[in-house]
Amino acid sequence: MTDFSPSPLAWLHGSDAPEKTSLNIGFMALSDCAPLVVAATQGFAQPHGLTLNLKRQTSWAGLRDGLLSGELDAAHCLYGLTYAVHLGIGGVAPTPMAVLMGLNHNGQAINLSPDLQAIGVTSPEALERHVHQSRTKLTFAQTFPTGTHAMWLYYWLASQGIHPLQDVNSVVVPPAQMVAHLRAGRIDGFCVGEPWSANAVNQRMGFTLATSQSIWPDHPEKVLASTAGFARQYPNSARALVASVLAASRFIEQSPENLRATARLLSAENYLDAPLADIEPRMLGDYSDGLGNHWHDAHGLRLHDDGRANLPWLSDGMWFMTQFRRWGLLRDDPDYLAVAREVQQLGLYRDAATSLGIDCPVASMRSSQLIDGSVWDGSDPHGYAHGFRLHALSGQ
Amino acid sequence: MLRILLIDDTEKKVGRLRTALVEAGFEVIEASGLTIDLPARVEAVRPDVILIDTESPGRDVMDQVVLVSRDLPRPIVMFTDEHDPAVMRQAIQAGVSAYIVEGIHARRLQPILDVAMARFESDQALKAQLQARDQQLAERKRIELAKGLLMKMKDCDEEQAYTLMRRQAMSKQQKLVQVAEQIIAMHDLLG
Repeated sequence: MTDFSPSPLAWLHGSDAPEKTSLNIGFMALSDCAPLVVAATQGFAQPHGLTLNLKRQTSWAGLRDGLLSGELDAAHCLYGLTYAVHLGIGGVAPTPMAVLMGLNHNGQAINLSPDLQAIGVTSPEALERHVHQSRTKLTFAQTFPTGTHAMWLYYWLASQGIHPLQDVNSVVVPPAQMVAHLRAGRIDGFCVGEPWSANAVNQRMGFTLATSQSIWPDHPEKVLASTAGFARQYPNSARALVASVLAASRFIEQSPENLRATARLLSAENYLDAPLADIEPRMLGDYSDGLGNHWHDAHGLRLHDDGRANLPWLSDGMWFMTQFRRWGLLRDDPDYLAVAREVQQLGLYRDAATSLGIDCPVASMRSSQLIDGSVWDGSDPHGYAHGFRLHALSGQ
Repeated sequence: MLRILLIDDTEKKVGRLRTALVEAGFEVIEASGLTIDLPARVEAVRPDVILIDTESPGRDVMDQVVLVSRDLPRPIVMFTDEHDPAVMRQAIQAGVSAYIVEGIHARRLQPILDVAMARFESDQALKAQLQARDQQLAERKRIELAKGLLMKMKDCDEEQAYTLMRRQAMSKQQKLVQVAEQIIAMHDLLG
């Protein structure tokens, strides 16, 4: 059992000071870990009485285990992974989790292999025809069974009339290993966070077929997560951590110069260990898909967006549960709103944001239209989860 | 099974503790007297707990304890006949986790060791947190100093100075405190 007694240092200082001053923060080598790396290395945590020790992880499963064992105090985490652990989906006992804040919107992508490119499968329609006419099933990789990339891949395929659990195979591959798997011919496509999609394009290993923001403009993606136990035992540390990371997110988006400098920092061996040319353009919204198309994306990676990318909206958390239900990962409907209220640390976020003068809407739901035309606003999660043409709902 | 390094510093040298420890089921590695180099011994034996049995802990005993606490921290339990509270305080300051005056019974050993180990763990956690805090404060001071120097050199405001330092640090894949040190060094050089 976890001991919830206050830290031995609590008596030493005022009531707002962090109970625990040195925190181990897990991250994966992805562009959207930027706010954590910048917060830890650029003096954003010291004014809040914290030292952040960055701990790079090699897989999402390993990062999850680190959070659950207490080796990591908080981490860069997939929205879906956090909810799967909370609900006990996927081989681990349910552990109450906390989404402390959002880390980003957008900035993930679906790529296809050079072999598919060579036979002219370069559009959604061509892929749909190929999948339904070819005798061999294609294999797509995502990064975690209940992660955001699995959900984007499934949602996108389904929106094109491809059943993600029947018409294709899907496997889990850690983000940084996607290109190697593609090269070895073990997978035909993947959904992954940057810079690994750009990295494949730059190595002429296939092309980007769809960005995640084309599925849902300004979609929720990574969060800063901890166990609920951490947030309860060290509430001041949790608030100080959110304030530090939020200040870093704001700084990164203050100017294109800051974004470029951030890309340089990320490319270092200790962080992404990837070429700057793979990281910087898409961080700034400049896309090349490998088919000769270039564009500036109006919904590129957002790390702050005046706080809109950081607020832990209840409707964002609920959406991932509707997709778990849709694809049979949840056998029954959870109490969507009640679970989201447990996990999303809205009060903590609002306290931290207000202390930095960052705008905090009163609303806890937001409305979006997705690629298939459906509108998600959190008002009818049950109806939404059960309203898709392609699904794997059990018990129906 | 707990590995115990037993330091016998009593006149009798018969080892009044040894029998009790073995009876209680501990693995006991014995070293007699404090003429030995305690840190070296701890390095070689890697005990879970160090027990010092001494009639009255002298200055050399305390010195050895201080060295172990600094370099190879371990729970240290001291059994002694010395009642003087000043000596006890000295021993605790040197890094002793538990100080037991007289009366050693086999069945009391386990709880004494449990308390000593728990005490030791919480002390270590406290020490690590305090060290982290000291380092935070030290880094913050250096960053503030560099920011002030830069504000004067560039004739800019606080936020601009921070932004310049951070952009420089990130572009060079360094930490902010490293750039702060470079600014301070450059300022010292140019006087």
